[in-house]
Amino acid sequence: MTKIDSTTLLEIKDLVASVEDQQILNGVNLKIKAGEIHAIMGRNGCGKSTLSKVIAGHPAYKVISGNVLFKNQNLLELEAEERARIGIFLGFQYPIEIPGVSNLEFLRVATNSRRKEIGETELDTFEFEDLVRAKLDLVQMKPTFLERSVNEGFSGGEKKRNEILQMALLNPSVAILDETDSGLDIDALRIVASGVKKLSTKSTATILITHYQRLLNEITPDYVHIMSDGKIMQTGGPELAIELEKEGYDWLNKYEEIKGDKS
Amino acid sequence: MSNANTVDQIVSKPYKYGFTTDIETEKIDKGINEDIVRLISLKKKEPEFLLNFRLRAYSQWLKMKEPDWAELKYPKIDYQDIIYYAAPKQNQKKASLEEVDPKLLETFDKLGIPLSEQKRIANVAVDAVFDSVSIATTYKEKLAESGVIFCSISEAVSLYPELIKRYLGSVVPITDNFFAALNSAVFSDGSFVFIPKGVKCPMDLSSYFRINSGDTGQFERTLIIAEERASVSYLEGCTAPMFDTNTLHAAVVELIALDDATIKYSTVQNWYSGNEKGVGGIYNFVTKRGECRGKRSKISWSQVETGSAITWKYPSCILKGNGSVGEFYSIALTNNFQKADTGTKMIHVGSNSRSKIVSKGISAGNSNNSYRGLVQIGPQAENARNYSQCDSMLIGDKASANTYPYIKSNQPNSNIEHEASTCRISEDQLFYLQSRGIDFEEAVSMLVSGFCSDVFNELPLEFASEADKLLALKLEGSVG
Amino acid sequence: MTNDLIVQKWLNSIPEAKGILKNIQESGKQCVPKIGFPTHKEEDWKLTNLKRLSNILELNINTNKETNHQIDINNLPNPGKDYFRILLKDNGNPQDKIKFPKGIEPLTDSEIEKSIGQTLEECQCHKTWPIAINNSSINQILAFKVNENNLPGIEIIIPANSKDFNSKRILIHLEDNAELNLLEVILGSESSAQSHIIEIVMGKNSKLNHGLISLGGNKKSNLLSHIATQQKENSEYSFTFIQEGWNLSRLEPRVVQTSGNAKTNLKGLQICNNNDQIATHSFVKFNGPNGELDQLQKAIANDQSHSIFNGVIEVPQIAQQTKAAQLSRNLILSKRAQIDTKPQLEIIADDVRCSHGATISQLQEEEIFYLRSRGINNESANALLLKGFCQEILKNLPCNSTYWTANFNDLIKGSE
Repeated sequence: MTKIDSTTLLEIKDLVASVEDQQILNGVNLKIKAGEIHAIMGRNGCGKSTLSKVIAGHPAYKVISGNVLFKNQNLLELEAEERARIGIFLGFQYPIEIPGVSNLEFLRVATNSRRKEIGETELDTFEFEDLVRAKLDLVQMKPTFLERSVNEGFSGGEKKRNEILQMALLNPSVAILDETDSGLDIDALRIVASGVKKLSTKSTATILITHYQRLLNEITPDYVHIMSDGKIMQTGGPELAIELEKEGYDWLNKYEEIKGDKS
Repeated sequence: MSNANTVDQIVSKPYKYGFTTDIETEKIDKGINEDIVRLISLKKKEPEFLLNFRLRAYSQWLKMKEPDWAELKYPKIDYQDIIYYAAPKQNQKKASLEEVDPKLLETFDKLGIPLSEQKRIANVAVDAVFDSVSIATTYKEKLAESGVIFCSISEAVSLYPELIKRYLGSVVPITDNFFAALNSAVFSDGSFVFIPKGVKCPMDLSSYFRINSGDTGQFERTLIIAEERASVSYLEGCTAPMFDTNTLHAAVVELIALDDATIKYSTVQNWYSGNEKGVGGIYNFVTKRGECRGKRSKISWSQVETGSAITWKYPSCILKGNGSVGEFYSIALTNNFQKADTGTKMIHVGSNSRSKIVSKGISAGNSNNSYRGLVQIGPQAENARNYSQCDSMLIGDKASANTYPYIKSNQPNSNIEHEASTCRISEDQLFYLQSRGIDFEEAVSMLVSGFCSDVFNELPLEFASEADKLLALKLEGSVG
Repeated sequence: MTNDLIVQKWLNSIPEAKGILKNIQESGKQCVPKIGFPTHKEEDWKLTNLKRLSNILELNINTNKETNHQIDINNLPNPGKDYFRILLKDNGNPQDKIKFPKGIEPLTDSEIEKSIGQTLEECQCHKTWPIAINNSSINQILAFKVNENNLPGIEIIIPANSKDFNSKRILIHLEDNAELNLLEVILGSESSAQSHIIEIVMGKNSKLNHGLISLGGNKKSNLLSHIATQQKENSEYSFTFIQEGWNLSRLEPRVVQTSGNAKTNLKGLQICNNNDQIATHSFVKFNGPNGELDQLQKAIANDQSHSIFNGVIEVPQIAQQTKAAQLSRNLILSKRAQIDTKPQLEIIADDVRCSHGATISQLQEEEIFYLRSRGINNESANALLLKGFCQEILKNLPCNSTYWTANFNDLIKGSE
């Protein structure tokens, strides 16, 4: 086994995965250390969202080969909820609406399952309400949000803020935010970005999946990866994203062609 | 005048296929009894197994009761007042078209179905049925080259008795319902299609049914078999002259699809619907059913129902094969005193079976248009999916639209979704079109065809335009 | 024994009613054999378990003996000032004993005689078998009129006695502009059967928020119930009904907007476990223009249970500008369970907006995954979603209904 740096939180090795019999990931490699912020960019259909679903353990996505290690533990052996409890968080691109299920109750059950895992006491309804109210400010949400059903009738911005609220409550080690910036106006984007920044610490890591530079203007990543055809084609610093924004994805094609010529 | 009234006024248009052909016809005596059944079989020189099939059906039929549908009120049919066999007088079926009575060819010409070598429709093989018999089938030789059998069912009985024996009545058993039993006892002719393993039928096949005699019932029988990996697209058209009596049409259609086979069956039904007071017209009581016997087989029904005084018809799919697919696309337009009770049954037996239903009902005048459907997911049909959409459009305030979707599930790992809506032509939409210079009549017809577009898209190309025209025709008339 | 014989024997065994109920019983007894025991050939009874239906007729009728209930009805929490509780447990005339709050008055005998059956007729169900059965065996009637708003809620508790068939009738008249919150609680008992009919007349501009919680208690209990309501212009009727734990339950909400221009909300939930057969047959008719209907019917089918929904909406020619929406949402959780649902729209008016929809499925995989990705295990995610599924209906119940529905989480199997 490879020797892993103690600060490595997540390591993805040669990951090949499919959904509905269609292979989407064709060998993804990625290593993420504590304190880092990574951005993954790429065109629609390049496999960004699939990667996030596979890490989170969506049952419809099948891993064909490869490995995902979280703190040196095989993540692929775990159920989705077990992954969440040990500190993997996925911020959904399209958070689902669940009519009838109260947001407050949902948040409490989720938070307690995480607290139990990390040896903290579970909170009763009153204690939890105190906790959640304190966190609401982070995403500038009103307490009335808690009375409503999970995401039901929420605007796009409200849904994304609800995702960040969940992240604040669950305190994950690795947070993957799948196009959290899409569908947000500039104010909502700032709220979400500042929430994410406040939640990123030296001991946690964040993966931002995005199409656009504008989120990266708010949160400067340490690394930028460009995905294409189910693989990470290129890795660089923040300047790579700026270049991409300037040149568009066709620039990436050229890069691929050059690379293709070499081989 | 309000738009609604005007729409109401323009939805009548004379029936253009209402002429009769003056031709000498051989008819047997009115009425039904065992001797008549034997006589029909004898006239058709049938083997014994088929006579027995007919006799069994007849004795079952005697024990059955005519269905009593709450929504379908019609005067009682006197089954002894119907002629069960009528054929244009000509010696046997002709080997070549040149020998067919020119009057018959002329009739089909007039109906827009030219049969002669020079004029025939390119790339569509036609079986033309006149009253009780098939008079001609085009492109037979060309089809034979690829192994496709396309002929009248009478011919098939004498040439391919083994296939008939194996498949006839295997999807619609003789006891299935009152009219299916009657058909099984007295069926006269119809089409037979057999597509062997791995063959994609090189052209569309088509049957054209013409009722000519006023007192004759039409009981045709169609059987289509697609073997493994075979595929075929089949079209059916129907017209009848105008009589002020009601004529009974009780057909049975059976489709069988084996592994990976596909059958697409399209109907444009334009039987005479009776006059604006509701006198005359065809009683169209039809049993159509397909069985997806093989894995990943597919049966797709599409129909445009504009004719008949009463239509009672539920083209259905039994989805036995794992991964099989059933589809039903329907447009039913009723006007004056027409009644249509139509829909489908999707019986999911195999796992991963899928079905889709899109039904558009348009009712105008005093007509009644009902959708009646069943979606059933059996206990073995793991992962089955159904989606249904049934929309109704009402034109005028005397027309009615009903929907009766029966939905039944025994399988937790399945998904059924049904949606239905009722609307009328929106005045805003009409106004929008009119304000762009489109005249009222055209605007109505555009909106109706827009309402039906989901189904038009599923019709074979040649049929889609014909169907669109047919709808426009039905809705066309003098404004104001 | 044939069903006809069972029916005859049953008719003969009915204890005679007193007072105004006598005439009703007589007419009912004549009607029962005319209508005849239901058969599967009748569309309305096609799916009903007729064996269970005929078993009902073999029970004693209106014995009036105390039984232990799933909930101790003699020790209910104090309703406080906001609710007025009526416990319909004895035979005889309950009106004598009740001191209604101000704004509610009992109907007089002559008012009862004049109006009984009238709403059923308006709702086109007066000649049906369950009504005839109720008429012929009826032994208790609660009838009152409401002529104010701002009243305390009314809670009516109707317990059953074990191995007993019990018929009750309630008549409620809401005068013009009156408003009321009404919660009925029907409790089954060991092998009991209840025939419960309520007739409601709603005056102009009146408002009724009506809840019905029927808990069979999983004791082979049976319930046949008609809830018939006629609404005048500008009235609003909201009816929320829950069925759970019955061997056989058939609930028939029937609403007629006598001249349209009214609003009707129907929200139903049936939770079917074990061998239950639970059915809702709803009927809504608009006898005038501008009516509105919002209907949501939900069912959960578990074990070997059978859930049935049949929802008729009639929009005759006079009912232009009707807006009606009906949705039937069903969860099938077991391979041995069965769900039948049939929305039924009959429309003659052309200027209407009507829609209906139906779904039958498992819980949605995406919803479960969303919850699991937040650390909630599969079972809890299921339980949470099922609770949410029910909550959409339960939240509409009037009065202090949580006392009755508090145990619902445990009732929903498959959640544990």
